[in-house]
Amino acid sequence: MDAMPEPAVRREPPGTPPIVYLKGIAKYFPGVVANEDVDLDVRAGEIHALLGENGAGKSTLMNILTGIYKPDAGEIIIDGYARAFASPVEAIAAGIGMVHQHFKLVKAFTVAENIHLGWSETPARISPQALEARTAELAASLNLAVRPGARIDDLSTGEQQRVEILRVLARRARVLILDEPTAVLTPAEARELFKALREFVSRGNAVIFISHKLDEVLEISDRISVLRGGRKVATENTENCSQKMLAKLMVGREIVLNNLRERSPHAARMSSDAVLRLRDASAQDDLGNTALNKISIDVRAGEILGIAGVAGNGQKELSQVLTGMRPIVSGSIFVDGKDFTRARAGDFADDGVGHIPEDRLTSGLAPALSVTDNAVMREYDEAPVSIGSWYRPRSATALAKTIAAAAAVIVPDFAMPVRNLSGGNQQRLVARREMRIAEKVLIAAYPSRGLDVGAINTMMRYFVELRDAGVAVVVISEELEELLNVSDRIAVMFHGEIMGIVDTASTDIEAIGMLMGGRRATTPPLEQAGI
Amino acid sequence: MAFRIQYFPSPQPAVALLARALAIVLALVCAGLLLAINGAHPIALASQVIASTFGSSFGLEDVGLLVTPLILTGLSVSTALKIGAWNIGAEGQFYAGAFAATGIGLFVPGPTVVILPLMFLAGMFGGVIWILIPTLARAYANVSELITTLLLNFVGTLLAYYVSTGPWLDPGGHALGTTARVRHEVPEFWGSVHWGFPLAILLTVVVAGLLNFTRWGYEVRIAGSNPQAAKYTGMPFRRHLIAVMLLSGAIAGIAGMLELAGTVHRLQGGISNNFGYLGIMVAVLARGSALGVLAGAALMAVILNSGIILQTQGVNTSTVLAITGLILFFTAIGDELAHYRVVRTQLVTV
Repeated sequence: MDAMPEPAVRREPPGTPPIVYLKGIAKYFPGVVANEDVDLDVRAGEIHALLGENGAGKSTLMNILTGIYKPDAGEIIIDGYARAFASPVEAIAAGIGMVHQHFKLVKAFTVAENIHLGWSETPARISPQALEARTAELAASLNLAVRPGARIDDLSTGEQQRVEILRVLARRARVLILDEPTAVLTPAEARELFKALREFVSRGNAVIFISHKLDEVLEISDRISVLRGGRKVATENTENCSQKMLAKLMVGREIVLNNLRERSPHAARMSSDAVLRLRDASAQDDLGNTALNKISIDVRAGEILGIAGVAGNGQKELSQVLTGMRPIVSGSIFVDGKDFTRARAGDFADDGVGHIPEDRLTSGLAPALSVTDNAVMREYDEAPVSIGSWYRPRSATALAKTIAAAAAVIVPDFAMPVRNLSGGNQQRLVARREMRIAEKVLIAAYPSRGLDVGAINTMMRYFVELRDAGVAVVVISEELEELLNVSDRIAVMFHGEIMGIVDTASTDIEAIGMLMGGRRATTPPLEQAGI
Repeated sequence: MAFRIQYFPSPQPAVALLARALAIVLALVCAGLLLAINGAHPIALASQVIASTFGSSFGLEDVGLLVTPLILTGLSVSTALKIGAWNIGAEGQFYAGAFAATGIGLFVPGPTVVILPLMFLAGMFGGVIWILIPTLARAYANVSELITTLLLNFVGTLLAYYVSTGPWLDPGGHALGTTARVRHEVPEFWGSVHWGFPLAILLTVVVAGLLNFTRWGYEVRIAGSNPQAAKYTGMPFRRHLIAVMLLSGAIAGIAGMLELAGTVHRLQGGISNNFGYLGIMVAVLARGSALGVLAGAALMAVILNSGIILQTQGVNTSTVLAITGLILFFTAIGDELAHYRVVRTQLVTV
């Protein structure tokens, strides 16, 4: 690709069709409307932000545009012509390329090899030197600095992302789709990226920028489209937008305020002392980066504390720290006054801390094993399931039946693999199993993810039941509606820190939305005021 | 309303069984076709195989001798799979077990009633030693046990060749490339079938009992099925991994010891008869069930025995290898296809 001498900003004459026009797009998955009736036009020369919560349908829509999914209804119109892509290869041939959130690079290969992998224009026989020279040329013409000879393994995430972008642009993409590109970048790297994107669109190309960070969307984009529940709710010029308005558009659907915070007269009183106490706790993620930065949380018996925030801001690590699955590098944890700083997952469970994990299929269940095996996972080592070293399958099945009955899950055969149950049934089973051992604390991470409305309501009733029984409950969720309905207080996480803890009764969605976007609470956190 | 083919996470049992049967039939048909192309008469050969396998006590005794090591190597591989480990090294552990048992049998003086149990322990120990390094490497450095156990097979094979042609070569000079005859023998149980056969079945039952009726077994099944779940419940995954892999090696070692002391009586290169590798097939066919190990081993034994009969009819032994390969091949396809069902669909909108 030759360097194109283009004016700094190219304005299309009126009447030019948009590069991409999605018309009436719909995509249905069993039981879920992922997209419906979505219209979206992306014009040459613009950075178009696509904003929405997790599950709003952003990824599905882009997967349709790049040929990974086929739409169930609607049209994809490129430069005025209707197109149908059977695969990402066809999409890229039409000039539409995507950089995914999780990079798709071969780590043991060099940058040059990755750029040329699976590309029809790669010469059949070529020396590594020539390959690297070609790559350097491409990089220079597209103004993306990469090191052609370096192995992907040795690159920072920012550099890896540049390689991904170069790979897409080398294939002459005119529309570049970026899925949460800044999630993995340092602020300096993000600025570099923004500069490169501006330059790219100034040559008459377009960028679709997927994000749920309001501040950066306002900074980088020309227009913003907001998706909610699979539908597009607005497209607006960025200069007419504010954080407050976008937060409202994103999360402010008809919030069903179904207040479960009221306590029945015979419910346990909220204690004055914290039963779960986290002090200045820091922890690392699996890659060794700081995931939690000096977090302090107190949860009282008989209280539900909600944890809000955009996914990936340390909530997963927090739930693991609170249940002994992840060690903390500094700080301390106390459960009911006992020091649990060095305790392991088994100790937490033995001492009455239940845990509904973020992804039940990867850690809360052994999907290939039977319903019985899974149901007794917390009580297999005590009577009646085990007597001494002996495990008694009959008693195990009896206990599994009790748990399934409490969860109102109908199980045709307790010997069948638990993965055969629906997601909602699996989650109810896990929840009931954990509630049985949660004498003091229950940590629930994204308990409603992937569930339908009925199952979500059941889950919320469970939490209220525990709260009324005097258990301290922590609910981590990205559904603000849920948190507003059940929690007494809501802590908002951003970049591994608590931005503020607000009293649910005296807050609103916008305030929480601002905290989620990284604005610290201006008033001192109500935590101090509350305790 | 439309029809489409949908993937289900677990197949219907009847469909799965049918797929298995079809796989075996298809493999046999393919082998028959190959034989016919080469000018043989598959039907005549097949009836001959059936007659000489099941028509005489000799045939059944041969199958009984073949099935014993197959049950044990199959059990060995199948047990390791319970904790999620692929023990490709049953072959090497088999040799190590036979080697250790031979050493005791040849060089430790004493009455059979003392030495035979010692040989049994030595066989077990040999298998354990052979899987020890792969086990520790997997447990502490996350080195793939698939590679390490496989590579140690070659070491085990060569060790047996070396001692049986070198230091331990039969001084009587009756046979080339074998050790002297080990005097201590596993007594016979039925015809030429030794007590190793019921012992192998007993071991299978014991291991199945351990896995299904002890707390340890429960933890192993959970940890093997999903290590993350073990971490979540606080089970010691590494300790279980080590214990189960060593148990797997011990069982393969026992297979080698029994083959030596029950059937062959002399250590020689090729004593394993590929039983270690065939154990992988048995375990794959068994799909984690103890009964499946017995059935899979029986099927493999019949096939091996058929090979011997075919050889007497002038058919190349590679045919048998081809049949086992084809069975595994079609079974893998059949198992996958059994997950699919044709369903009627309608658009769901909520």
